[in-house]
Amino acid sequence: MARELITLEHIYKSYGDQLVLDDLSLMIKENSFVTLLGPSGCGKTTTLRIIGGFEYPDSGAVVFDGKNITDLSPNKRNLNTVFQKYALFPHMTVEENIAFGLKISNKSQQYIKDKVKYALKLLNMDGFEQRKPDSLSGGQQQRVAIARAIVNEPKVLLLDEPLGALDLKMRQGMQYELMRLKNELGITFIYVTHDQEEALTMSDHIIVMNQGYIQQEGTPEMIYNEPENAFVADFIGDSNILRAKMIQDKLVEIQGAKFACVDVGFGQNNPVDVVIRPEDIELLEPEKGIIKGRVLNTVFRGVHYEMEVEAHNYKWLVHSTRMKEVGQEVGLYVDPFNIQVMNVPESEDEEAISELEQTE
Amino acid sequence: MKKFFSRFYMALIFIFMYAPILTLIVLSFNASKSRAKWGGFTLKWYVDLFQDETIMGTLWNTLSIAILATIISTFIGTVTCIGLMYANKKTRAIVMNIANIPMINADIVTGISLMLLFQAMHVTTGFGTILMAHITFDIPFVMLSVMPRVKTLNQNTYEAALDLGATPIYAFRKAVLPELWPVIIAGGLMAFTMSIDDFIITYFTKGSGYETLSTLIYSEVKRGIQPEIYALSAIIFVAVMFLLILVNVIPKIRSDRKARRGRKKIAAAVLVLCLTATSMGTLTACGTNSSTGKNGKLYVYNWGEYIDPDLIDQFEEETGIDVIYDMFETNEVMYAKMAQDSSAYDVICPSDYMINKMIENDLLQELDFSQIPNAENIGESYWTSSETFDPGNKYSVPYCWGTVGILYNKTMVDEEVNSWDILWDDKYSGQILMQDSVRDALMIALMRNGYSCNTDDEEALEEAAQDLIAQKPLVQAYVVDQVRDKMIGNEAALGVIYSGEAIYTQQENPDLEYVVPDEGTNVWIDSWVISKNSKNVENAHKWINFMCRADVAYKNFEYITYSTPNEAARELIEDDAIKNSEIAFPDLTTMKTEAYQYLGTDVERLYNDKWMEVKSAD
Repeated sequence: MARELITLEHIYKSYGDQLVLDDLSLMIKENSFVTLLGPSGCGKTTTLRIIGGFEYPDSGAVVFDGKNITDLSPNKRNLNTVFQKYALFPHMTVEENIAFGLKISNKSQQYIKDKVKYALKLLNMDGFEQRKPDSLSGGQQQRVAIARAIVNEPKVLLLDEPLGALDLKMRQGMQYELMRLKNELGITFIYVTHDQEEALTMSDHIIVMNQGYIQQEGTPEMIYNEPENAFVADFIGDSNILRAKMIQDKLVEIQGAKFACVDVGFGQNNPVDVVIRPEDIELLEPEKGIIKGRVLNTVFRGVHYEMEVEAHNYKWLVHSTRMKEVGQEVGLYVDPFNIQVMNVPESEDEEAISELEQTE
Repeated sequence: MKKFFSRFYMALIFIFMYAPILTLIVLSFNASKSRAKWGGFTLKWYVDLFQDETIMGTLWNTLSIAILATIISTFIGTVTCIGLMYANKKTRAIVMNIANIPMINADIVTGISLMLLFQAMHVTTGFGTILMAHITFDIPFVMLSVMPRVKTLNQNTYEAALDLGATPIYAFRKAVLPELWPVIIAGGLMAFTMSIDDFIITYFTKGSGYETLSTLIYSEVKRGIQPEIYALSAIIFVAVMFLLILVNVIPKIRSDRKARRGRKKIAAAVLVLCLTATSMGTLTACGTNSSTGKNGKLYVYNWGEYIDPDLIDQFEEETGIDVIYDMFETNEVMYAKMAQDSSAYDVICPSDYMINKMIENDLLQELDFSQIPNAENIGESYWTSSETFDPGNKYSVPYCWGTVGILYNKTMVDEEVNSWDILWDDKYSGQILMQDSVRDALMIALMRNGYSCNTDDEEALEEAAQDLIAQKPLVQAYVVDQVRDKMIGNEAALGVIYSGEAIYTQQENPDLEYVVPDEGTNVWIDSWVISKNSKNVENAHKWINFMCRADVAYKNFEYITYSTPNEAARELIEDDAIKNSEIAFPDLTTMKTEAYQYLGTDVERLYNDKWMEVKSAD
C-alpha cells in the first residue's frame, strides 16, 4: 500500500466574485498517475497551480510529504511542472533549457552534462542539444519541456494539459510515452486534462471535477462503468441517460418496460437516473427485446456502427458491429450488469450539469 | 521605361530627404565661413569644435542629461509595462492612454506646464529640472516600444523558471528580460534621440547658466550659426545613424547564435561608453555648478556669440566672482523671461528700444556710476544717442553698436550710392535684398521720406507701407542673416545689412562696399543694464566696469567684430585700416542717425499691421 504524498485539505479559492474551488479535499498517493479531469472552468488547473505554488488558496492547507507547504513559494517545492504551452525559454538552446534547474541547484558541469544527455535519450531527442525551441515541432518542444522538468528528479511531476496542442496521432504516441516515463522514473504524476479518453488511457486514478467540486474519483474502470451521477456518466464516454423508476431492488422501470438490474438500496418506486452505455445495448428481433424501436440513422465509425434507435420518443444511442437498415424495427436488450442506476441529483450544483449539457 | 521612372522617383525622394544633411556635412568642411562660397577643404571647424569650451561643455550637459534620462526612463517604462502585464485589460488601456499624453501633447504645452509646476514647487531650475522633464517625455516612447512585446510574452516562462527553482529575481533576469532586451534597447535609443533632439521642453525647464546643444544653437541665431555647429551637427548625424544601424542589426546578431558573445561585447561597450560619458558629464556639470566663487555669483544674460568667452574666465579670475552666463536669441525672449522672473539675471544686454520698454515697465535699476569709473571710456556721441531710449543715461552703458546701411557690389553697381532711393531703382530688379524685420524695413521707407523711424503718424506709416509694396517686385527676397552669404556669393547687387556684419563680408569679398544713406538711418545700441531685483548688484557693477575697460573691450572687439563705443579700446587697435574704418567707427556727429524707441503697445500694433500689409501684398 503506497503512502500518502499530497493532501489538499478544505481548499477554497475564488477570483473576484467567482468561487472556483469550494471546499476541495483530495489525497494523492505516492507513485501514482492521477488525472484531474473535467470541462474547462471546473477548477482542475487551479488545483494543479495550488499544488505547484503558483496560486495560493484563500483557505485550506496543502500538505506535501507530511509538511504543510501552503505558503511555500514554487522554487522551494520539490516538484516540477510541464506547462500547457511548454513555456520553454526561447532564447536558450535545448541543452540550456534542460540544464536551467540543475545550474540553479549548483550541480557540477559533468553531472549536468550527463543528466541532460540522459534526459534527451529518455525522450528520444538525442542530437537536439544545440537547437533553439522555435526550430522544433510541437511534439519535440513538449519532450524538451518534460526533460527540463524531470532532470531535477522531482517527487512529483505536474502536467497541465501537456498534449492539448498536439495532433491526434502525436497525442496517442505521447500518451504511451508518458506512461513509460512514469514507470521508468517511478515518481508521481499529476495530470490535468479535459480529454476523458486520455484520462482513461493513462491514469491509475481519476478525479472528475465540475464547478469546483469533485464529482467522483476512482480507477478508470470504476469511473467508466459505474458513474455516480449523470454528469460523470455524460462526461466520460457516450451514454444513454434516462429518468426511470426503481420498482424494487434489482428491478427498474424504463419507459414503461421492466428491466432487470443488479443495483440495490434505492428503495421502492423511487425516481432514479439510469446510465446505459451504447455498446451495452443489443439489437435483436423486435419481439426478443425488452422494448421495441425503429432505426433512425446509421453511421459507420470504423470499429462499429453508430445508430440512433427511436423508442417511446427517446433516441437511444447504440454501438454495434452489425449494421441495421434505416427504418428497420428492432428489439432492444440490456444485460442486467450493464444498467447503472444513480440517484437523481438533489443539489443545485448537481443540477447545473444539465445546463452544461445544453451548452456543449 | 516603367523601371526608369520608379528609380527616378526613388532617387528624387532620397535627394529630398538627404540633400539638406549632405549640404550641412559639406559645409562643415568648408574653409570659408560663408555659406555661399567654397573656400577649400578644411578640418578647422572640427578642431575648433573640440577646443571650444562652451560647445564641449554644452555637449557634455546634453549627453549627461540624455543618458541619465534614457537610463531612468527606460527603467521606469519597462517596469511599468511589466506591471501592466498583470493588470486587467481595462486598467492597462487606461494607464497606457495616460502614459501617452506627454507624447501626444504639444511640446510647448508640456514645457510650460512643467515650468509652472517647478515654479509652484519652488524648485530651482537647472540640471535637475531638465532631467525630470526629459524623463517625463521619454517614458511614453519607452513604453511604446516595450509594451507590444510584453503583451506577447508567455507568462508561463516566468513561472517555469520559478518552478525550476529560480528565485523571482533570477527568474525575471533569465526568463523574462532576455526576451525584452531588443525592445528595451530600441526604446532606450528612441528616448535618447528624443532627449538630444528636444528644444522646446528643455527651453522652458532650463534654469540660468545651464545650456544644452539645442538651446545653445538657438541662442546663436543673432550672429548666424557658426561653422563649428555644422561640424557638431555632422558628428551627431553620423552618431545617430550609427545607433540606428545598431538597433536594426542587434536583432539579427541576436538570432545568430554564434555571434552572441559579440552582442554581449557590443552591449558592454555601449554601456561603458554611456557610463563614462555620464560620469564625465556630471563631473563637468559639477565643476561648473558647485564651485561657488568666493565673492558670490553673477547671473549674466547676453545675446548668443556676443562675447569673447575668455573674458568671462578672466573676469572670474580677477574678481573671484562665479559667473553664470546665459544667452538669449531675441529681445522679446529676454523680455518674457525677465517679466516672468525679474531676479533671474543680474546684468543683461538688451537693445535700445527694449531698454526703453524695460525702463517704462520698471524692470531696471539706476546705475551707480561711481562704481563704473571705466564708463568714461565710452565716446560722448554714444551717450547722446542713448538718450533716445534712456533719457539722462541713468540705466544703461553702451556695449556694442552699429548702423543699418546698404551693402553693394561694386562690380554690379556702377554709380555712387548715397540714398535709400537706389533700392527703388528698376535697374536692380531682382538684385535687391531686404531685411525681414518690421522696424528695419519700415525705418528705411520712413527715413527715405524724411520721417522719424519712431513716428506714430499713421499717414507717414501708410505712405511707407505703400512704398514698400511698390518696391516689392524689385526685391529678390526678404531675408534675415542670408544677406551676408548671398552678397559674398555675388548673388545680389544690393542688400540692407548691419554695419557689424559689413566688416566681415568685406574681408570675404573685397568687391563689397557699405554705405549709410544721406537720408539717415537707424543706429542701434546694445547696452548693459542691471535688473531691478538683482541679488548681486555690486557684482553686476563690477561686470559692467570690467567690460568697459580698454583692454577688455579691445579683446572683445577683436573677437566679435561689432563696433565698440569704447574710444580707449579703439586706440589699441593696431590695424590702421580697421581703426579708421568708416564702417566700424563712423562719425555719429556728422551722420543723421536715430535710435529705436519703445513705441508703446498701440503704435507697435500699428507697425505690425502695416508690416503685415506689406508682407501679404502680391
